[in-house]
Amino acid sequence: MIEIYHLYKQYSKDVLALKDLNMVIDRGEFVFLVGASGAGKSTLLKLLLREISPTRGNIKIFGKDVTRLKKREVPLYRRNVGMVFQDCRLLEDRNVFENIAFALRVIGASPREIRKRVPFTLELVGLKNKVFKKPNELSGGEQQRVALARAIVNRPSLVIADEPTGNLDPETSMNIINLLQEINIRGTTVLVATHAKNIVDYYQKRVVVLEKGRLISDQERGVYFNAD
Amino acid sequence: MPIRSLFYFWKEALKSIFHHGWMSIASIAVVAITLLILGSFMVINYNVAILTEDIKEQVQIVLYIDEGAGAEEVNELQALLISHPQMEEVRYVSKEEAMERLKDQLGERAFLLDGYEEEDKNPLRDSYELRTNIPEEVAVIAEEIENYPAVGYLDYGSGVVEPLFQFTGIVRWVGLAFMSGLALTAVFLIAHTIRLTVFIRRKEIMIMKYVGATDWFIRWPFIFEGLLLGLFGALIPVAIIYYAYEIAFLWMETNVYFVNLIPTEEIMAEIMQVLIPLGVVLGVLGSSISVRRFLKV
Ligand SMILES: Nc1ncnc2c1ncn2[C@@H]1O[C@H](COP(=O)(O)OP(=O)(O)OP(=O)(O)O)[C@@H](O)[C@H]1O
Ligand SMILES: [Mg+2]
Repeated sequence: MIEIYHLYKQYSKDVLALKDLNMVIDRGEFVFLVGASGAGKSTLLKLLLREISPTRGNIKIFGKDVTRLKKREVPLYRRNVGMVFQDCRLLEDRNVFENIAFALRVIGASPREIRKRVPFTLELVGLKNKVFKKPNELSGGEQQRVALARAIVNRPSLVIADEPTGNLDPETSMNIINLLQEINIRGTTVLVATHAKNIVDYYQKRVVVLEKGRLISDQERGVYFNAD
Repeated sequence: MPIRSLFYFWKEALKSIFHHGWMSIASIAVVAITLLILGSFMVINYNVAILTEDIKEQVQIVLYIDEGAGAEEVNELQALLISHPQMEEVRYVSKEEAMERLKDQLGERAFLLDGYEEEDKNPLRDSYELRTNIPEEVAVIAEEIENYPAVGYLDYGSGVVEPLFQFTGIVRWVGLAFMSGLALTAVFLIAHTIRLTVFIRRKEIMIMKYVGATDWFIRWPFIFEGLLLGLFGALIPVAIIYYAYEIAFLWMETNVYFVNLIPTEEIMAEIMQVLIPLGVVLGVLGSSISVRRFLKV
């Protein structure tokens, strides 16, 4: 599913964010990506989403080299990758339904598809009774669930989350990770970058650890890795 | 592109125009002013063109033959006139013919001429009516002809024709320069408005990129917004010119009846053909500049 070979990302002369990264993630896996602040987690996710290009190395996703995608191929590629951020990035002037429908509408989905997919997805994330609320009328956890719904409404094969629980209390964080787990059980590959030790330890998933741009540990059923 | 996307683009464009009303109004206003000036120049130009066409077709020089000249001299004069390279038309008008014309002109009051009709009492003179093929140079040619034999005196629209041609020439150039400046301002303002839209919508644009909207899907609403600003900016002067011209037309018809203006419908058709496409072009140009510079997609 995701194959990464000898990946380097150098932002400037003295900022080498990723160094010779190698890893493979299979279809249907659930992976935590952990590491101290500045370890290169977000950089890796941005590379996966083709927001930035690597300095060296290759990333193959769905059998295609993402680093070699043409500019006009990138949107189509992204339709197969759902993205969730710490700060949700919802449109404040639109209600929950519209926020999710937006993701479908801008890729040219039909109104019929939108009417079908949006309620289904809202049900999945447990927001059926908040359809017409604006983001500022929702709790942080609910907002993140809207963001999650928006990421999966187009049924991507891969969901990438960059610290999705960064702003949430432990209990709400668990709700979000539970949801991601549910999505994962339905067949979607999930990659979550996080700082939350308690969560990583609790779920016992595969844990990949970055330190100063290097992969220093990769364990099945791992726990939060502490270098010291 | 599918119809529903088209619908979406227009809706987004309209929404954004109303969203930042003042910037939109400023852009529309500058387009409108630019095109209003252009339109006014066009109205004046078309009418002056017709008017000068009329003048060009009219007799430009009347040469009255010296009463004392003999037949020999008159023949020589005629030969010189006909062989003059700039002469388009040479027409001999005897004093009898001139008298007939005068009677026609006076109509009911032709009795005023009673007693002058007999040949030896006719106060009018034999003349040549001349038309040159360079109306702008009438004065020069007249000066030349003045030295021909048998010439009594010349009558030509000196002091009227040349300034008119000069005036329309100057108006054209000043107008063009002025309008180019305004058109640039219009493009700049539209670009600025669209840039503002891009800025206000940066979050939306970012999300669109993340969920896989194509670059053109992101661009179109901004292009359409510029197009609409330009179109609205063109419709305003079209309406203003229509009403103003209608009023001017009616006023001229009752007060200055010897000048025939081009009918309103005819001139509006000409003007809309220019102003509306031009407004749209200015709008699309402005938004394209902004989309290119500020929309990193
Ligand atoms: N756009 C950029 N330009 C220059 N340097 C950057 C840029 N983005 C990140 N970096 C640097 O690259 C390194 C890795 O950053 P990255 O954001 O990937 O870390 P991270 O693991 O996501 O950290 P955090 O847990 O704080 O989010 C850091 O040293 C950071 O300063
Ligand atoms: Mg980060």
